[in-house]
Amino acid sequence: MTNEPHTTDEIRTDGGMSDVEREQQIDYMDVEINLLKPATPFMRDHLRVIWIGFGIWALTTFAPITMTRLAPDVMTTPIPMIGFPLHYFLLAIVGPGSALVLSVWYARKRDQIDEKYGIEQATVEPETTDTVPDDTTATDGGVEE
Amino acid sequence: MIDGAPMLISTLLGAMDGVVLQTDEGLLPEGLNVSFKLVPSIIVIGMMLLFIVAGFMFKVADTDDMWVAGRSIGNLENGMAIGANWMSAATYLGVAATVAISGVYGLAYVVGWTTGYFILLIFMAAQMRRFGKYTAPDFVGDRFNSDTARALAAITTFLIGFVYALGQARGMGLVGMYILGDWSALTGGALSAYQTMMVVFMVITVAYLSLSGMLGATKNMVLQYVILIGAFLIGLVATGWSAGYTTILPQLEYGMMIDSLGAEFSAPFAGGSYYLWIATCFSLVFGTCGLPHVLVRFYTVKNERVARWSCTWGLFFISLLYLSAPAFAAIGTALYGNQIGAVYGDPGMTSAAGDVLVVLAAQLAELPAWFVGFVAAGGIAAAVATTAGLFIAASSAISHDIYATIINEDATQRQQVLVGRLSIILIGALTIVFALDPQQPIAALVGFAFSLAAIVLFPMFFLGLWWENTNRPGALAGMTTGIVVWFIPMLNEGNFGLIEGGLGIEAIATWMPAIGSALVGTPIVFAVTIAVSLVTSEPPLRTKQMVRQCHSPDPMPKDMTAADVVAEKNGNRPETPADD
Repeated sequence: MTNEPHTTDEIRTDGGMSDVEREQQIDYMDVEINLLKPATPFMRDHLRVIWIGFGIWALTTFAPITMTRLAPDVMTTPIPMIGFPLHYFLLAIVGPGSALVLSVWYARKRDQIDEKYGIEQATVEPETTDTVPDDTTATDGGVEE
Repeated sequence: MIDGAPMLISTLLGAMDGVVLQTDEGLLPEGLNVSFKLVPSIIVIGMMLLFIVAGFMFKVADTDDMWVAGRSIGNLENGMAIGANWMSAATYLGVAATVAISGVYGLAYVVGWTTGYFILLIFMAAQMRRFGKYTAPDFVGDRFNSDTARALAAITTFLIGFVYALGQARGMGLVGMYILGDWSALTGGALSAYQTMMVVFMVITVAYLSLSGMLGATKNMVLQYVILIGAFLIGLVATGWSAGYTTILPQLEYGMMIDSLGAEFSAPFAGGSYYLWIATCFSLVFGTCGLPHVLVRFYTVKNERVARWSCTWGLFFISLLYLSAPAFAAIGTALYGNQIGAVYGDPGMTSAAGDVLVVLAAQLAELPAWFVGFVAAGGIAAAVATTAGLFIAASSAISHDIYATIINEDATQRQQVLVGRLSIILIGALTIVFALDPQQPIAALVGFAFSLAAIVLFPMFFLGLWWENTNRPGALAGMTTGIVVWFIPMLNEGNFGLIEGGLGIEAIATWMPAIGSALVGTPIVFAVTIAVSLVTSEPPLRTKQMVRQCHSPDPMPKDMTAADVVAEKNGNRPETPADD
């Protein structure tokens, strides 16, 4: 899981800048959100994970019942040792189980992307509003459009 | 095989909610006698007292705590709350029943009700947290700059909550009656045994909820999760063990039993067609992503990372039960077949027996009465927790979205919390009144609530978060279309008694059954919303920026919303007034 190509993206340059550097130049107020055309390196990395996950999810959720429709004989063969008919096992256990595994995979992947772009969630201390009007405000707040 | 579908659906929906649509005498099968059982009673009463105490300890005085638990909830805690909030009496009692009675078709519920959380996770959980308002209608109203859209969403939210809670109220009454016996004499015979118990448990639920709001509800949901999952898993292992079918891992061991259970248990499409399976599963998946009481759980957490991980934990906690329910169904089916009669065919397992299969199985395995009571108590915990989530979502729709945002914009926190409490009491009273008469086919509405959420609300959330050009006319057109589309199979099948006997149009019954109507309806709403958005003017820049802020990786302070951030970045200039 951790060997996916994009973990090495940091050293790949693009117009003389790494993804991380390009990302830092971007103000999200100015980029279009498009599910199919990610506008920033972060969004591109994130959407790749989302689409891969969605594809696998669609397969594990709907393929077993479809295959059972297409090839009922093969799919109802009992599995040796555990006794389940194949389709029953795929539906009752593999379906929910793979959604869970995918969720863990996604949440970890997303944490890795956060790490790559140096994003840290403020978790530990309960924040108060007055400490947090953050750097973004300091740098571009108040800029006239 | 498609022809049998509508009839099958109504049987199933009746079975789904752990609720029987008959008079009291028929509510429980003979095997389960209604009587006062000492130890189970102590367990249940102690449990309800515990909920009230926990509610009192975390009672709230301001709207943040009332609606979003002060945005203070962590990973595991929110994960358990997601689990308890999600798993209702329908899950606790109904899933095993559905799998037992309709075999492979029942697995559409297992798959749909679990895997939907992954879609929620990748497309919505963190972005919703960043949007950071109080309620689901809030999102719709603010995202599309329209009080009309807000009101439509609030009404839908209220309907979903009310309709869904009816089934929970019945679950409480049913199981309460089994444990505590017949107390109808106290009401001078005005109420039946079932009604008395339903009212008692609903009053307690409403009391703790109106006191504690979301903060107390969240703390309680953790407690409720532990009780319900403990009761279910221990019940399953003990039942399987004592009946001699399984040992320590019944979730896998029941595979060996499947052969002996009759073809109906595992034959593909014996209980419903391929199309019906897909349609049902689709509706449940995307209904999950559109249910306001589910989405609001992501508003209660500290930040978006917690939103993601708590969603994952939530799915883990939910899977524990859903992976076990078919095992319970298998063991229950075997026990029933051996001791009472054939499960399938004529007469087969009665729906009354199916509805309490989990409790019945424990009893047929000759486990002690206190233990059977403990398993039943888990059902009450499940019903109470889900009712809590539904009532919070529905009452916040009234108090926050309709009262404080539309009717009285200058409402103080005190007033809002007061209206919130009053609306919880109102919904509670309404639910009690409508749940009094078990003749009505209200249990079916749980399934319809999912279709409604998938058709009307899910496209608004999804497009609102992922396509910044979705605008107000698009959303209004989409939601209106959605409501109309949702009603088509309702009318066709004669649900709610809207049209006596229904229209009975064959093609609609086949391709757009009410339980799975989202498979057709959701794409239509997407298409309408997109088309209308394209031909009308783009939404204002400020709205687009709000959407962008939902996707920015920059951390946000926990008590700011995407709108606050946008306003701040634009130099806190006064917002352009909303256009309607």
